[in-house]
Amino acid sequence: MSPEPGSRTARLEARGLCAGYGRTQALRGLDAEVRAGEIVAILGENGSGKSTLLKVVARILPASAGQVWLDGLPLGSLPRRQTARRIAYLPQSVDLVFPIRALDLVLQGRAPHARGFSADTPEDLARALAAMRACDVEGLAERDASALSGGETRRVFLARALAQEAEIWLLDEPTAGLDPRHRLEFLDVLRRTHRDRRGTVLLVTHEIELAAELADRVLLLRAGRTIAAGPPGEALTRDNLRRAFDVEFKIQDSRFQIEGPSESASLES
Amino acid sequence: MRAGRHGGRLRHPWAAAIVLLAVFALAGLLVGGVRLSLGDLWSGKGPGGEAARLIASLRAPRVALAALVGAALALSGAAMQALLKNPLADPFLLGTSGGAAAGAALAALAGISPLLSPGAAFLGAVASSLGVAALARRGGRLDLQRLLLSGLIANAFFSAILLGVFSVASAGAARTMLFWMMGSLADASFGRVAALSPYAAAGAAVLAFHASRLNLLAVGEENAAALGVDTERAKRIVFLAASMLTGAAVAFAGIIGFVGLLVPHAARAAAGNDQRRLLPLSAVSGAALLVAADALSRAAFAPAELPIGAVTAAVGAPLFAWMLLREP
Repeated sequence: MSPEPGSRTARLEARGLCAGYGRTQALRGLDAEVRAGEIVAILGENGSGKSTLLKVVARILPASAGQVWLDGLPLGSLPRRQTARRIAYLPQSVDLVFPIRALDLVLQGRAPHARGFSADTPEDLARALAAMRACDVEGLAERDASALSGGETRRVFLARALAQEAEIWLLDEPTAGLDPRHRLEFLDVLRRTHRDRRGTVLLVTHEIELAAELADRVLLLRAGRTIAAGPPGEALTRDNLRRAFDVEFKIQDSRFQIEGPSESASLES
Repeated sequence: MRAGRHGGRLRHPWAAAIVLLAVFALAGLLVGGVRLSLGDLWSGKGPGGEAARLIASLRAPRVALAALVGAALALSGAAMQALLKNPLADPFLLGTSGGAAAGAALAALAGISPLLSPGAAFLGAVASSLGVAALARRGGRLDLQRLLLSGLIANAFFSAILLGVFSVASAGAARTMLFWMMGSLADASFGRVAALSPYAAAGAAVLAFHASRLNLLAVGEENAAALGVDTERAKRIVFLAASMLTGAAVAFAGIIGFVGLLVPHAARAAAGNDQRRLLPLSAVSGAALLVAADALSRAAFAPAELPIGAVTAAVGAPLFAWMLLREP
């Protein structure tokens, strides 16, 4: 479908991407592209490869075949620190064994910018605090990060992405497990910072309505491949959703109501 | 902004560690079979007019070796804890000490000169570490869970070898081995200090260079990778540097437990988990602890000496329990 990879205006582009864990392949020839400044939501059932896609883009997992292109350059050929200055990864949660201040967690975002083995510079500190202010977590700076709530942790990681000065943010289910108020707060901060920093956002979610409302485009994944991509209005059709989830949806005024399991057998596997 | 934060943290952990090291080192020069006073130390004469010789030939090298070994073990422990993301990790967890013990025991059995036994122990440690690292590889990755399991397997295997050697060794050789395994600084000399120094310095330099990466790894491997760390490379380098520090320390002083577990733990409680401060603070504190333990081992039942490994465990276990109880 697309002739020359890495030749156009896409900020991120994946062609024939394969990756997995041990013998389990999670991505099986995935194609996708993300343009600068967009919010792209990734939807798909559990195990469809959503998080794996983020991890390959974040260079946490290597691609076993295919390639990701960052502004036309193959991601795997760029120095890791260089891509870490441009791409921030926001995990769903972290398992913190050692005590660490929220501020120090945000300061870790400065690591890709650090020279040699110097300590954090005043500039690093200023950027980290400014980022925490932008995400309404400045008051948590001295708190132990492992004692923060889910919503606070997500905002601290968002602050870290800002401190990292990354232009691409990868968010893995940022609203999962948040109560309504914390969910709203997080999305407010996300919208605001995205507007201010003009970041490119790649966001994995199970909330179809959130994707429809927030995203410029959505990617629907199934079994490690993209089965539909486009603006929410075009991609989130009954048909596509059935193919992605094996579930019948009733769609009305951007509301997605589950009617029941799909009658037809799965089309892809 | 950075110092004196979080309740319970010391304001000047550095000053405390350095003062303790100095005080214990001084004590280490004075106590032992022949007790010296500060005046003896100053005049160099003392009982029998031999203070200067006693200090120069026996006690000073012993204090220096204790400091170096303590620093190496504590550094290695701190690095292992961050690498494995486990505050209970210690330098002996990953098979290094087992390999060293087996190396030294086999050398003793083969009748190789005791002068060469540090070399044999070090070779055993290196071989064991490389074997453990190889066993922990999976799909080109160093799997940290497997690293732990491989270390356990290696230690079990080497203890079988040790038991075998013990069963065939002469009573004298078995006793020598036993004392080596309880840790001993009795053979300290400036030659040994000089031999250990380059390994300790190299290991410390490598770990210092990796302190920032260790900070990122201590939060998680994915965390480090996403922030631009070549995690496979970093894990391998840190593991080998920490193993080398342990191997070198064990080769010259036998197996001295608790220093590598306790010191990083205490240093973390005092100064936080930032490896850029934790590693140097652990090194100085480890040196102070082992110098103190050595002085105690010589002073407690002078002129008899307690095995230093028994002293660190006897002091370390209650201290560790106390720290555990104090933790919020």
